[in-house]
Amino acid sequence: MQWPSRLASLRRNLREPARVDRDLDDELHAYLDQLSDEKRAAGMAAPEARRAARIELGGLEQVKEEVRQVRSGHMLAELLQDLRYGMRMLRNNPAFTVVAVLALALGIGANTAMFSVAYGVLMRPLPYADADRVAVVFMRYFPRDFAFGTMCMRDYLMWKEDNRAFEDPSLFTNRRMDIGGREGVPEQVQGAFVTAGFFSTLAVHPLIGRTFAPGEDKPTTASLAVLGESIWRRRFAASSAVLGQTILVNGAPAMVIGVMPGVFQFPMRQTEVWTNLLLNPPTRYGPWFYRGVARLKPGVTLEQAQLELNRIGLRMMQQNSFYKRLTLPVLSLRDAMLGVTLKPAILVLAGAVGLVLLIAVVNVANLMLARATVREREMALRLSLGAGRGRLVRQLLTESVLLAAMGGVAGLALAWGGIHLVRAWNPGNLPFIDSVRLDLGALSFMLLVSMVTGVLFGLAPALESARADLNATLKEGGRAGAASQSRGRTRAALVVCEIAVSAMLLVGAGLLLRSFANLQGATGGFSAPPRQILTMLISPGNQKYKEARPGLAFYDEVLRVARGVPGVEIATVTDSLPPDQQGDADSFMMEGQTLAPGELNPIVSDVTTGPEFFQALGIPLVKGRYFTVHDGPDAAPVTIVSEGFARRFFPDQEAVGKRIKQSGPGSGNPWMEIVGVVGNVKYLGFTVDTDPAYYLPFAQSYGQRMFLAVRSRGDAALLAAPLRRQIQAIDPGVTLAQIATLEQARTLSVSQPRFDTMLLSLFAGIALLLAAVGIYGLIGYAVAQRTHEIGVRMALGAAQADVVRMVVRQGVSLAVIGIVLGLGGAFALTHLLKAMLFGIGVTDPLTFAVAPLGMMLVVLLATLVPALRATRISPVAALRYG
Amino acid sequence: MPATNLLQGTLDLLILKALALTGMHGLGISHRIAQMTNGTFQVKPGSLFPALHRMEEAGWLSSAWGDSENKRRAKFYRLTAAGRRQLQAETRQWETIALAMASALQAS
Repeated sequence: MQWPSRLASLRRNLREPARVDRDLDDELHAYLDQLSDEKRAAGMAAPEARRAARIELGGLEQVKEEVRQVRSGHMLAELLQDLRYGMRMLRNNPAFTVVAVLALALGIGANTAMFSVAYGVLMRPLPYADADRVAVVFMRYFPRDFAFGTMCMRDYLMWKEDNRAFEDPSLFTNRRMDIGGREGVPEQVQGAFVTAGFFSTLAVHPLIGRTFAPGEDKPTTASLAVLGESIWRRRFAASSAVLGQTILVNGAPAMVIGVMPGVFQFPMRQTEVWTNLLLNPPTRYGPWFYRGVARLKPGVTLEQAQLELNRIGLRMMQQNSFYKRLTLPVLSLRDAMLGVTLKPAILVLAGAVGLVLLIAVVNVANLMLARATVREREMALRLSLGAGRGRLVRQLLTESVLLAAMGGVAGLALAWGGIHLVRAWNPGNLPFIDSVRLDLGALSFMLLVSMVTGVLFGLAPALESARADLNATLKEGGRAGAASQSRGRTRAALVVCEIAVSAMLLVGAGLLLRSFANLQGATGGFSAPPRQILTMLISPGNQKYKEARPGLAFYDEVLRVARGVPGVEIATVTDSLPPDQQGDADSFMMEGQTLAPGELNPIVSDVTTGPEFFQALGIPLVKGRYFTVHDGPDAAPVTIVSEGFARRFFPDQEAVGKRIKQSGPGSGNPWMEIVGVVGNVKYLGFTVDTDPAYYLPFAQSYGQRMFLAVRSRGDAALLAAPLRRQIQAIDPGVTLAQIATLEQARTLSVSQPRFDTMLLSLFAGIALLLAAVGIYGLIGYAVAQRTHEIGVRMALGAAQADVVRMVVRQGVSLAVIGIVLGLGGAFALTHLLKAMLFGIGVTDPLTFAVAPLGMMLVVLLATLVPALRATRISPVAALRYG
Repeated sequence: MPATNLLQGTLDLLILKALALTGMHGLGISHRIAQMTNGTFQVKPGSLFPALHRMEEAGWLSSAWGDSENKRRAKFYRLTAAGRRQLQAETRQWETIALAMASALQAS
């Protein structure tokens, strides 16, 4: 009933606001005229009557405002008006707008991107049913001291027998697999051997076909293969005809029974083939290749499972006396997939980016406060003209929301770009990276935070001035009053806070930068320029090369062909390479050594190399000689040991001439004479202390799969194509994989620290920029406020240098407080970086000295600009207008 | 003389009643209300005009410019059909309330 009329008014009010308002104005003026007519009729003089009428009306503008308030759609009209006004304010203050929007965009964008990544990697539920009930079981023992190491088949059987905490424990191991067959050129992919219960433990289902059935890990089972979606698409054109087809895995036939969807990425992100691990009854301890994966029984916690595994570990030690300090660490599936270094790095970066948001928000708060001071007069004027206090508050709210929205949109774009950058970059193989997407929750949270800040810091002073004495404010004419003085203190405190947080981030970034420089400078114990060494992993494919004689002949041919490629200086083979290709590790015996029953020498790297390996990489000879072509299969067994090995196991003795043999007591290996001592080489990573190593000549310790390493005169990467062509011409069944120069391998091995360092530096840079803007704004504003005072000082004879000193001192004193606070915070927090640092301590004095200096320099620059502007103040002008 | 505070809603009823016989301009309405209530209610422009505009938007009143008794231009308000129905409804409601209030205050 009322609605048609209301809608009509709404339409009129919104479409013709000017006419509606004019009409109201006319109406009120008519009323005034009538009223004064009446007064005059009652005997008043004309001007008197007019005045009395006006008083009775009680403020024309106020009455109008009251009428406007009851009109349909006045809220909407006001909102539109506020928006228009807000836009105009932002347009008229471009410096303020750009800085505030940029600060918000950087804060919101960087945080949304970082938290999206952190959520995707650390928190998003895994694509497996009840993934938090699945655990991975490792083994740690001395002498092979790996925190998350592997177990052997015997250990697994014992665990399985005593297990109560888990349903049906499964076993798996990662293996590079050469995939060949009728479908295409052989290639090497990441694969895994898994027991029959593996897939059901993870509760995952194939895209097509089936996974392993119970019992398909019995020794008599045929080889079966489950393919990953990517290899299925790449090699088999996503055809379901692949089911039942036989492919070659490491030269042996296996039947394809199923295809897993691409989201299934376990044990590794890159795993593309799973074959059934056959549980042959072990005849001895070793090899230690395996990890366990199992689902907790209902009601059992991870802690309870760990307790049970501790008891089982104790029994394992009792059964086998060479295990020392054995434990079976258990990790949740996610933690196992993340690895131990990734999580702290992500948390540190997320914390750092949170600090950036803090600075951005503080900056906006600061800007809002500064603006509030400037607008004190405007607010007072509008109040006195009839604006309701609620109305002013709504207006400021609209402006804050407008600012936050602009920052939000820009931030969204930044976050979008940032996430795509991280996904494309994928430092150090972040797991789950494909599932990282823009997190709307994070974005809304950031938006909310920035909006609340804007509102809070825009509103508080607005309310304060709304309460203030209008007359005083108007008379003061915008000069600093008591309110703006306390606001000035708040702003100074905010700037101190910005400087402190920036200084902290600078110290953090400085530490990572120094650490990264150390990492870059770290050498692997060889002198050859890394870019002149090209390596590739060769798998001969053909089964006949399992035997040493034909195998050695094959490799002789490979080396002969390689040496014929123009540019190749030296060609050799090895099963280990710096920075992170460790081949085998084994214990050893020294001649004349008596070991207590069950005792074992440490398990160390045993490296199998061709004769010219040491010359190719430039590994120095310390004593004795290198291997030569005469150390053949039928010659006397020889070995070379590393300097670290000689020093540790033959202290104060001459190692050359002594004899050792591979593996522990009772092994049938021959005694080998130590013929040389060479420099230490880092096969476990440049950041890891060198493992003692002993070397075996390839001809006396044949292995099928070897790295070819060639040294060239120039850039070795150019040799990849001709070498590949020549080697595949020998036998088309050969698989060549991991073709890279040592330079490339090294770059890859530091990609995670590089990512961490660049990101933290970026965050620190943003923080520094924002802090600089903050202090520039504060000092600039202070100078503007003190124009009058500075003019007086200069008129009284102050030199320009005095003025500069006065202004700069203000900035510097704030900076000193901020930097001291920041250094304190850094001291308290840098221990979080400990795991990410290489070669420096968490309180590296150089970083702690340089970071504050840098900060101070930036503050000086930010202060100097307004200070110099202050010297150009003309005393005359300052006194006239101040 | 201080006017008694108008109860919320009472002002609407008074305005509707004032306009029941003939259309009037704002000043006329406030005079009429004062006269009807023997000067008890003095409607200030700050209350009158928002009320008039609100009631017009609700469709109870219509307005048009016209000439006042002393040849001044003025805006005249009159009741619409909906306004008359509203007057009847509000009158009945008010009588009920008045009766209830009277008996409540007489109760011992």
